[in-house]
Amino acid sequence: MAPRSALRSLTGALLGSLLLTACTPADPLAGTSKALTDRVLLPAYANWAEQNRQLASSASAYCAGEQPLEQARQAFVQAQTAWAALQPLLIGPLGEGNTAWQVQFWPDKKNLVARQVNRLLDDKPQLGRADLDQASVVVQGLSAYEYVLFDPQLDMAERATQARYCPLLVAIGEHQQQLSARILEQWQAKDGMAAQLQAFPSSRYAEPREAIAELLRVQVNGLDGLKKKLGAPLGRQTKGHPQPFQAEGWRSATTLASLDAATASAERLWQGGERDGLRALLGDDQRALAERIDQGYAGLRQGIAALERPFAELLADQAGRAQLAALYKQLDDLHRLHQGELARALGVQIGFNAHDGD
Amino acid sequence: MKRRTLLGLGSTLLAAGAIGGWAIGRRGDQPVLFSARDDADGRHYAVGYRLDGSRLFATPVGERCHDVYVHPHLPLVMFVGRRPSRESYLLDSRDGTLLQVLETAADRHFYGHGVFHASGDWFYATENDTAAAGRGVLGVYRVEERRLQRVGEHPTHGIGPHQLLWMPDGETLVVANGGIRTEADSREKMNLDAMEPSLVLLRRDGTLISKEQLPEQMNSVRHLAVAADGTVVAGQQYEGDPLDRAPLVAIKRPGQAFQAFPLGEQQRQAMNQYTASLAIHDELRLLAVTAPRGNSVFFWDLDSAELRQQAHLPDCAGVAAVADGFVVSSGQGRCRLFDCRGPGIVAQPLDLPAGLWDNHLRVV
Repeated sequence: MAPRSALRSLTGALLGSLLLTACTPADPLAGTSKALTDRVLLPAYANWAEQNRQLASSASAYCAGEQPLEQARQAFVQAQTAWAALQPLLIGPLGEGNTAWQVQFWPDKKNLVARQVNRLLDDKPQLGRADLDQASVVVQGLSAYEYVLFDPQLDMAERATQARYCPLLVAIGEHQQQLSARILEQWQAKDGMAAQLQAFPSSRYAEPREAIAELLRVQVNGLDGLKKKLGAPLGRQTKGHPQPFQAEGWRSATTLASLDAATASAERLWQGGERDGLRALLGDDQRALAERIDQGYAGLRQGIAALERPFAELLADQAGRAQLAALYKQLDDLHRLHQGELARALGVQIGFNAHDGD
Repeated sequence: MKRRTLLGLGSTLLAAGAIGGWAIGRRGDQPVLFSARDDADGRHYAVGYRLDGSRLFATPVGERCHDVYVHPHLPLVMFVGRRPSRESYLLDSRDGTLLQVLETAADRHFYGHGVFHASGDWFYATENDTAAAGRGVLGVYRVEERRLQRVGEHPTHGIGPHQLLWMPDGETLVVANGGIRTEADSREKMNLDAMEPSLVLLRRDGTLISKEQLPEQMNSVRHLAVAADGTVVAGQQYEGDPLDRAPLVAIKRPGQAFQAFPLGEQQRQAMNQYTASLAIHDELRLLAVTAPRGNSVFFWDLDSAELRQQAHLPDCAGVAAVADGFVVSSGQGRCRLFDCRGPGIVAQPLDLPAGLWDNHLRVV
């Protein structure tokens, strides 16, 4: 069943509970869910779709010789940044059914992206969209696109190299454009994902509290994911041995820009577009917690901004690694504040069975 | 509004006046849901609630529990400790009085699952022999004077056994040997490169009847449901690459081999390599599976394997068949009754406390 029809088939499933749990428009939880949908989630998904539209046209223009490499690379960075901004917002269709793998393959511990791209192009020198759609998700997304435009082993200034890799660039651009347009449509459709979060009960959420719980859960998961993306190159899973090639976006040096975009996005979920985010749900008695979270975001973003060298350079020496470790600590503190004290203050559970392994 | 929506609304309104076929208000007749549950501070409880939301008990317990088993005729309910707990808890099912803290033998720990024999005289639990780490053991307990006494054990003919259930004869056990070796006081997986998951049928005296494996070595067979006709369904948790196409639900129909249940590829992907609890509705011949990593509950026709519905339920946990369909719990949101009698499956939130429900539940 396609995700869209799955949503549709659920329509009305919970309408009956209207009789049991009438909620007024003044319900602050419902108001926050709607405000975040309108002013944070929908704009972020719309921006992602727009950046992918531009990525697709950049691929075509670059491969037709109508756009310089530098501009094509810039289009990639924009698409990567828009995707990074969705990390704490992966509620709904992009967060489900392994769809996100089609956008980015991370972590790539075995250099699968390079190997699979080249194997695919060896097999299909005249690669078309259909070939890419049939191929592994490893080669369908931004990671493979980044490999082609930025890998130090590939010189796209050479005609032969460009001729080999351009069909893949064009196909990925189209794939990402279509994927992002389809996800945006699933958000905007009647009874789509936005509607699920805008009025209650909806077929997904029996009451606004369930929607707030899920918004917080994806935010917490997003922060946890950022810890992994920062922790893996720092060697947190490899006994402290740095792993530069496990950094997200190491080829394009977008590691820190992606981290900043994702953090900014998590902060928007917290603050809201017009001071109407999760923070607005905390009462005066929770002001201290709110201020600690404010400071956590501010500190983290200042910490990122204060880094004066690229990520790979920082990773290469002791002083740089200490700076990155300090950043990790800030991120970890912020993650724990959301997972623990904020969840409790909001009166929501973010679940544990998904991480259980039993 | 689409016709389908109207139909859905109609049946939902019908369901609003009754839960699982039992009218609200006749409190004593309400089915009771037993489950392990935490509070917001992380303390563990063994709880019993009527489906209308009234609480029978919430008894604090020292260790987090996993599955729950109701005695066939005495007011006893057994909450089995979660791996690697060495304690399980026998409670009075009427008021939650803690009757016994059951401790494992030396070098043994529980895996969270067990079963009472239909006679009511015996209880069997899957256990780990930590002296030969991972060796699966079926602990045998005698029920006497509202207490359990360990009287022996048999091998489960596999590593890391998890759920076990009775076949319809009530004498044959089906055991999911998860295939993962863990050591005492640990949840660390020691043998991911050499897992040996299997589905075993054995008599309760320990005699092996059959042992079958799926082709994928890293596909841990963990949870089970058994239909009245002897069909066994198993839910897997895949330990290999997130992109591998591992069958996450498998079936052994009577007289047939243990094999993959034909999931649609989209459903399989939606599960994120992880299933939690299974239940079969015998009258409706439906299979329900919770997939908490995919935040989805799935319902299939057991005979045709046709998908009836994929429902969104974040951190969904336990599932049990009730008269009208299935009750499903969640670690995050409200529990749901899925009314499966009509052409469309209709979800209704239950007035039970929201979230913090642990993996499994029983409704009696």
